Amino acid sequence: MFPIPIERRSRAVQITYQSLIPLALIMWLLPLIAVALFSIRPLADFTSGNYWGVPSSFELFTNYSRVFFDSDMPRYMLNSVLITVPTVIGAVALSCMTGFALGIYRFRGNLLIFLMFIAGNFVPFQILMVPVRDLTVSAGLYDTKLGLVLFHIAFQTGFCTLFMRNFIRALPYALIEAARVEGVAEWRIFWFVVLPLMKPAIAALAVLIFTFIWNDYFWAIVLTQGPNAQPVTAGITAFNSQFIAQYHLMSAGSIVAAIPPVAMFFLMQRHFIAGLTLGAVK
Amino acid sequence: MSGVILESVDKSFGDAEVIHGVDLQVEDGEFCVFVGPSGCGKSTLLRMIAGLEDVTGGKIFIGGQDVTRTDPADRGIAMVFQTYALYPHMSVEENMGFGLRMNGVPKDEIAVKVREAAEILRLTELLKRKPKALSGGQRQRVAIGRAIVRGPGVFLFDEPLSNLDAELRVEMRVEISRLHQELGATMIYVTHDQVEAMTLADKIVVLRQGEIEQVGKPMQLYRDPGNAFVGGFIGSPSMNFLEGRIDNGNLHIPALADLVVPLQATAPAGIAGVTVGLRPQNLELDRTDSQLTVELSEMLGGVRYDYLKTSTGERLVVESRDADDADEGGSVGVSFDHSAIQLFHPDSGVRIRLSD
Repeated sequence: MFPIPIERRSRAVQITYQSLIPLALIMWLLPLIAVALFSIRPLADFTSGNYWGVPSSFELFTNYSRVFFDSDMPRYMLNSVLITVPTVIGAVALSCMTGFALGIYRFRGNLLIFLMFIAGNFVPFQILMVPVRDLTVSAGLYDTKLGLVLFHIAFQTGFCTLFMRNFIRALPYALIEAARVEGVAEWRIFWFVVLPLMKPAIAALAVLIFTFIWNDYFWAIVLTQGPNAQPVTAGITAFNSQFIAQYHLMSAGSIVAAIPPVAMFFLMQRHFIAGLTLGAVK
Repeated sequence: MSGVILESVDKSFGDAEVIHGVDLQVEDGEFCVFVGPSGCGKSTLLRMIAGLEDVTGGKIFIGGQDVTRTDPADRGIAMVFQTYALYPHMSVEENMGFGLRMNGVPKDEIAVKVREAAEILRLTELLKRKPKALSGGQRQRVAIGRAIVRGPGVFLFDEPLSNLDAELRVEMRVEISRLHQELGATMIYVTHDQVEAMTLADKIVVLRQGEIEQVGKPMQLYRDPGNAFVGGFIGSPSMNFLEGRIDNGNLHIPALADLVVPLQATAPAGIAGVTVGLRPQNLELDRTDSQLTVELSEMLGGVRYDYLKTSTGERLVVESRDADDADEGGSVGVSFDHSAIQLFHPDSGVRIRLSD
């Protein structure tokens, strides 16, 4: 077997391995640990420079209740949900259809269209910042959730189409032909034959896109500017700007903001892994 | 009334022409088998009849209707795929009833038809299972059941048994034969296995490189092949081919110690070199002679195949029914009834028929 299992190595190697693993893990998680620790400190600890020591007082409940009741955080959270969920639904629904069309039908220009979907992914989105902002302003969608949703869908559909098209290509084509011989209409083939078989791909893609969109900061600050439309990633900075930088509340807010995508990942983990390995073995 | 007629059907993929002007008539209720080596276009031809491939030229009629440009669904056909193509997310019952459900057939009617088909195919106990939980043979039966439920005039089978192991293949072969008798529908069956073709067919169509080599009843093709390809393809083991020469009304076979066979009838003029076709079944080992070397001897229980090598380097297979082994490496001769000889043109492979 390769690599040789650690149990069969020498004792010295085992000890090194076992002590390095937690060390690497702590290093890796240090920023997260810091944020988690900050979120239970009082603000005074920051001014006195007590970053890593024992908190001078335990402020878990005060900090988190202030995040929830004394700030716009719940609104920002709701905005995030209202932006992320429609984007996921929109991008996945669209890409199921584009993927079906590009994966099943052999028409002239199929490959060209597919390449355009992929090529869109290679354009660095930063260079689109100004034109996209101008476009939203002229469309009257600036600083609205709808504007953000529409642009997210437009940007994500390229990648989603790539994913779905390849998945559908891997489905046995005979299934489609069998249905055609049976006189099943094309849209019914999509709905009753292909869509049920795409469930793992849909689940995987939904988790992925959910995480992308929830964690988006760039478009959030480019296209929105207030509690009426900004998602939580951008909203957290509100703690920064009011009077002083409230690091303890920002940390608590970050933790709260990170919970949905993490929870999503753990709940859907099975689908996620199934989606990634699907088609690897027959 | 669902005979199938092909009229000079052509098919090209881009510049590559794969079917060249095929004419064929399949009678109503007939079991027709397309057979040929891989890449001969037999599956393409079937898919054209099904409507899954466009026809480049020519016409296709099913039940007297011109269906050349008709959708697969409106041709009155059902198809069984090599990979079964069962919908993995549906139970056996749903798989069989799917087509009807999608076409708005009432639920109780579907249930009746599915139950009937399941009874014919002995699938009743498996109706609630998913395809994943079925064996290969059972999946194939479900695929056939799905075809039966539609009540088509023509059944199309695209190498349906090639994914099964040898034992199941024989079993399913018998089952399909029984089904044909029971349903009396027209069936067109594609295979590369000449044994399947021989056992199932009312009519065999031998294809090579997109052209029909010969059409006929199984035994007719076996006894009277129109060319060397058909002779070699139909029958197992294959027909032996030896070089020969016609001289003065006599056939000389150098490989068999320059055996001279007087021809009963005259060969067409101008032919000197010929290919001599001899079926392994018509040859007999002659242990008193010693012009051939035994390279290998295969004992199959009831029959034995001896692979012989001639002094000219040609090879010969002999089928024997006696159980005594010929010594491998030993020397033997062969004898045969001279009327079993079939002559072919050495270049074109066309059968040379002798006239009285």
